[in-house]
Amino acid sequence: MAPTLPSGDQASDQDNWDNGRLARKRQLLTEIVLRNRLTALVVDGDTTCRVLEQLLLRSYGVQTQGVDNGRDAVALIASGVKFNLIIIDMILPVLNGLEATRQIRDMGVHCKMLGVTACSGESERQAFLAAGVDVFIEKPLDPEHLVPILRELDGQ
Amino acid sequence: MESKHVHQKIAAMRQSFFDEEVLDEKFSQLEQLEGKDNPNFVEEVFTMYFRDSTAFLETIEQAMKTIPIDSIKVDNILHQLKGSSASVGANKVLKEVNKTRQVLGKGNLEGTKAGILELRKEYDSFKAKLEPYFQLKQANSVAQEK
Repeated sequence: MAPTLPSGDQASDQDNWDNGRLARKRQLLTEIVLRNRLTALVVDGDTTCRVLEQLLLRSYGVQTQGVDNGRDAVALIASGVKFNLIIIDMILPVLNGLEATRQIRDMGVHCKMLGVTACSGESERQAFLAAGVDVFIEKPLDPEHLVPILRELDGQ
Repeated sequence: MESKHVHQKIAAMRQSFFDEEVLDEKFSQLEQLEGKDNPNFVEEVFTMYFRDSTAFLETIEQAMKTIPIDSIKVDNILHQLKGSSASVGANKVLKEVNKTRQVLGKGNLEGTKAGILELRKEYDSFKAKLEPYFQLKQANSVAQEK
């Protein structure tokens, strides 16, 4: 719903809760200072999603690289480039996200992997977790999910 | 148009998008990502979104005319459209995508065709609302610099 504050004393408890939740979400967009230089790889075949996810990460000071298919993601990791975080979509061109995740894990890569996908079914969730992602997030990637993960990676 | 009036018009347009639930709070989050280094970020994102989504819809519409219909292809593209629409806060477009995917998932091709028509209508309406908004913002921004 529209993120506007209700006027006067008319605000219901629900309105106050909703606005508090929105205010907290807005705080999350600015209220994080990373002590360490974190790096992230974003793997998404959709340009809009990939650009947005990279920009969201960069807004927190995370250095990012983006690729638009699973094969390039695997090749990049295989070349020795290391990341603190990999954000990967499930449905990808060339090599899908499930297989790309398996291959990345099979290389011995233990970094945090977030499966960020438009898929919302429980079977997809289980499949992505079984493939090796640590967290399954339904798109869009939200600061509420991302910030605690960045804090954890930063050792906060 | 006086600057104050233009600001009011822009603000009113923006609010109407939320009131009509055309946009959801994801749009507000995008606005917060705009800064001095990327002042037109939201407009650029939507330019990208409209470019890609228009192509997606055209591909879907073409795919629905082929015999037999490649349902997997249609669903994959709808899936992509779902992700990008959710990411920019295109609330009503997202709802139509989800409805159409549900119908497609049940194997109802006639229902899917109807769903895609509704999706097209919603998307065209969305684009027709947002593009003038960004144009006005851009024009106002240029006027402010003078």
